[in-house]
Amino acid sequence: MGDKMNTSRASLFSLQRFWRWEASGILVALVALALLLSIATDNFMSSYNISAVARQAAFVGLVALGQTLVLMVGGIDLSVGAAAGLSAIVGSIALTQWGIHPWLIVPFTMGFGLLIGAINGAFVAGLRLNPFIVTLATWEIFAGLTLVITGGYPIRPLGEAFGVFGKGEIFGVPVPVVIFLVAGAILIWVLGQTRFGRNIFALGGNRDAAVLAGIRVRWVEFAAFALAGMFAALAGILYASRMDAGQPSVGEGWLMGAITAAILGGTSLRGGQGSIVGTILGALLLAVLANGTVLLNVSGFWQRVIVGAVVLVAVLVDLLRRRSN
Amino acid sequence: MPDPIFEARNISKRFGPVRALNEVSIAIGAGELHSIIGENGAGKSTLMNIFCGRLRPDTGALLIDRQPVHFSSPKQAAAAGIAIAPQEINLVPALSVAENIMLGAQIGARICGGAVIDWKATRAEAIRHLHEVDDQIDPASRVGDLSKAQQQLVQIARAAATDARILILDEPTATLTHRETARLFDYIRSFKARGHSIFYISHRLDEVKALSDRITVLRDGALAGTLDPATATREEMVTLMAGRPPSAMRQEPRRIPGDAPVVLKVTGLTRPGEFQDLSFSLRKGEILGVSGLIGSGRTEMAKCLFGLTRATAGEIEYFGQKTRFTSPLQAIQAGLIYLPEERKQEGIFPLLSIVENAAMPSMARFRGLLAMRNREMLAEVMDYIALLKTRIGSPRDAITTLSGGNQQKVIIARWLMRDAKVLIMDEPTRGIDVNAKFEIQAVLRRLTEERGLSIILISSEMEEVLDVADRILVMHEGRARGIVDAAGESQESLLKLAMT
Ligand SMILES: Nc1ncnc2c1ncn2[C@@H]1O[C@H](COP(=O)(O)OP(=O)(O)OP(=O)(O)O)[C@@H](O)[C@H]1O
Ligand SMILES: [Mg+2]
Repeated sequence: MGDKMNTSRASLFSLQRFWRWEASGILVALVALALLLSIATDNFMSSYNISAVARQAAFVGLVALGQTLVLMVGGIDLSVGAAAGLSAIVGSIALTQWGIHPWLIVPFTMGFGLLIGAINGAFVAGLRLNPFIVTLATWEIFAGLTLVITGGYPIRPLGEAFGVFGKGEIFGVPVPVVIFLVAGAILIWVLGQTRFGRNIFALGGNRDAAVLAGIRVRWVEFAAFALAGMFAALAGILYASRMDAGQPSVGEGWLMGAITAAILGGTSLRGGQGSIVGTILGALLLAVLANGTVLLNVSGFWQRVIVGAVVLVAVLVDLLRRRSN
Repeated sequence: MPDPIFEARNISKRFGPVRALNEVSIAIGAGELHSIIGENGAGKSTLMNIFCGRLRPDTGALLIDRQPVHFSSPKQAAAAGIAIAPQEINLVPALSVAENIMLGAQIGARICGGAVIDWKATRAEAIRHLHEVDDQIDPASRVGDLSKAQQQLVQIARAAATDARILILDEPTATLTHRETARLFDYIRSFKARGHSIFYISHRLDEVKALSDRITVLRDGALAGTLDPATATREEMVTLMAGRPPSAMRQEPRRIPGDAPVVLKVTGLTRPGEFQDLSFSLRKGEILGVSGLIGSGRTEMAKCLFGLTRATAGEIEYFGQKTRFTSPLQAIQAGLIYLPEERKQEGIFPLLSIVENAAMPSMARFRGLLAMRNREMLAEVMDYIALLKTRIGSPRDAITTLSGGNQQKVIIARWLMRDAKVLIMDEPTRGIDVNAKFEIQAVLRRLTEERGLSIILISSEMEEVLDVADRILVMHEGRARGIVDAAGESQESLLKLAMT
């Protein structure tokens, strides 16, 4: 993405260009791991398993898409998991108690997510507070509110009509996966082809230069945080639909997954660099890893050790890649 | 004098206790090039930053076509037709040249009200603006991969691409080669010919005299006077800048005795693509000037000697011992120190104070029994600060509150404080005003005499090399073209040596 304007010259595909691409390492890793698992296990490649893996990747992946935007402007959003949980609960209540039509629940919840993401954005962009601290605080607030509203009990059932978003399939592909890929495609287009997208790269790459170029940096930063809230809410409500319940614990564990997926995909924590394709692949890799440990009968405890090790390896590979360029 | 299209009236600006500007009034007419000169910290950049909306004045007014305007952001100034190529390089390194030029001004496709970018048109526009300034830079390359000079040119193209009618160039030529400078001047002339105006800031007074229609001198944040470039002499300019007549501070040529010990001997040093087969020696107490155009491999050689990169062939003898530093730490411990050319990126710790920036590598010397001997450290830093005529508020202020030239002086102080045996200085006086430049040159000479320090002085200013150096190594395209005694050479003879 970073060298959008390069495409005119170098041949469309060359090994060197591939290697320059942030997400090259993760693509190789993902393919290698999938090959390994399809040899080592009987059912990794079964359509049932593949769609289960993809669905698992979709939820964390959606959160990771928003996180990628925030990381690219040089911020971080620790509240995404809690925002997903709170949004899922509010969406569930809107469905069961306020009688909002099931088809409108997803856009409604996304709107709510946008709103609470905007709170983060207002503090970070508007008041120039440190994003780590702001979202650490809102993380607690969102998680706490979720418990206050629900008293710790799930809201269920959400009904058949609403179940289609989490459980349904389009041509055999789970709906959340379709939504994830469509969202990813839209973001790729936004980052590559629109002013807003390029301004994200500019802001993350050099804030002073962006200001000097007349870019409304605060607005761009604000929007990135708001969108992160929106994507988290989308993931949360889809997950609720899948479970047929708004559970207070929805987003737990998504924060680490989202950041890990983005970093695995080549997004820089310092901002200015990142790739949506990389994040999508990163989310897939995490899901495949989790799935692989189950299929290979590795204890679930080891899974975390493995994920951690994979992240370290990915960082090392990325270091080598940047050195060699 | 033409009717002013832009006017600043009684502009004042304070930074805490520092009064950066005091009731400055200045105007520019259509098609005029108005130079602003002054010593480091005189307030030139501050004034320009006010013109382009990066800073707001405390008091005073800006007028365009006699209408008062208020800029609260660079965007508003750009909309009013004012663009700046700032003193420090300010680009997005991860993006391409073309994209940097069109940053925030990409051309929108017709769909979605211009939110979607028309890449083809945007790229074409970028290339058009780039070619006005330079035709050697590849618009598709990443800005982070370019040399400093090329980045400077991209920055100027960036400013030009906003279709401004008033362009502010803050020390545009500091890093440029002769060819690039000539090319830039062509552009400046064509820009003026279109009836547009330029505020021009430079410490190179001959350049100022040649280009300007009017020269304004700032001293200590206030107007010191206006000069007519047709009649003004260099002496007049310097007198007005400093508030006193220039002291004749040319260094006397000297001769290092042939029996002075050789401290550094380089034989056949090669790093493909950067420099080939370099051989020279440096004696105790000697200043070896390294002259040559930008891109001649001088910086690359310095980085290699310092242990930042590895040579593929050749030998380095350091105090009679065969050595290859594999890290800067090793080099520093052995007393060989390198002062990089790019202070902002490689030189300063922006969050730390002036004292800390100066004393950082010498901290060990001030270690007390329990804590740092802060008072001694401060005293020594202040000695050098005074020696280099650095204009600072409190030494505890962050270094980023200093003007560009004064930051450079703090960095020089840092390496002078360190007890070095060999000092490699890369463009040490770039961006430093005339008087301070002479001071620094005198300090260098004194250090070689009093402390037996040996210096490799890389400089694009032939005058400087001729003045301070004892011998001069002339480089061209990675190769040594010869080593000559400074006495008896002239700018012309050096250039000839480099080019033939
Ligand atoms: N952000 C800031 N905070 C505090 N003081 C500042 C700040 N910016 C500039 N100053 C002070 O204002 C004065 C004028 O600085 P300015 O950068 O305008 O100088 P200059 O004329 O551009 O010098 P140079 O030739 O070194 O670039 C200096 O004394 C400087 O220390
Ligand atoms: Mg300045």
